[in-house]
Amino acid sequence: MPDPKTPKADFSDVESGSSSTAPPPKTADQTYTVVKGDSLSKIAKRFYGDAQQWRKIYEANKDQIKNPDLIYPGQTFNIPGA
Amino acid sequence: MHAHGRRVFALAIGLAAITSAGCKKETPPPQGETGAAAPAPAAPEFSVSGVEVGKQIGADKRVTTPTTTFAPKDTIYASVATEGSAPSKVIAAKWTFQDGQVVKEAADTIAPTGPAATEFHISKPSGWPVGKYKVEISVDGSPAESKDFEVKK
Repeated sequence: MPDPKTPKADFSDVESGSSSTAPPPKTADQTYTVVKGDSLSKIAKRFYGDAQQWRKIYEANKDQIKNPDLIYPGQTFNIPGA
Repeated sequence: MHAHGRRVFALAIGLAAITSAGCKKETPPPQGETGAAAPAPAAPEFSVSGVEVGKQIGADKRVTTPTTTFAPKDTIYASVATEGSAPSKVIAAKWTFQDGQVVKEAADTIAPTGPAATEFHISKPSGWPVGKYKVEISVDGSPAESKDFEVKK
């Protein structure tokens, strides 16, 4: 039985982490319809949280995107899973 | 029939026997080609095959030297070895102290395609209180394995 006079151990400053040799689960592919003002980097920022991932969207939609700097409202892109 | 004729006749019969035998003999089919292909073996079911605790892990995420005794300033690692594949599994580690306090809880979601190792680690800059601890490993919320260890001065 714990001694009531003994203060409880303090674990408030414990730090932790983890990692694995197994990959994380793949997220499902999605689609997105371009609206006015969109750009590939903006769409990447929205879906991946990282504007630099625009190339992933470009590669997945090369049949529609001749110039990655030119996308048009109404185009529907496949957004590959993360 | 004179001797020469008999020898020729015997030779002809022999040749005929050899060629007919060759025609009648059926070449057995090569092994394994008798029908439909054998079904592929089923993928092994996912399971935890072991848990080790120690002070260091290698690049393979496995504890280099398992131990159950730690010093107050040690970082404590728990390595969970798994077998089998699964599209998604949540492996969690719950660290507790002898008085029942939860020291830390952490989880990792993985999609293994074969044998894998997942490590969890904890550290405490102010030093671990001396005493007994436990790390409990669960998979998708179900208890899998646990390991007891101790911190000594």
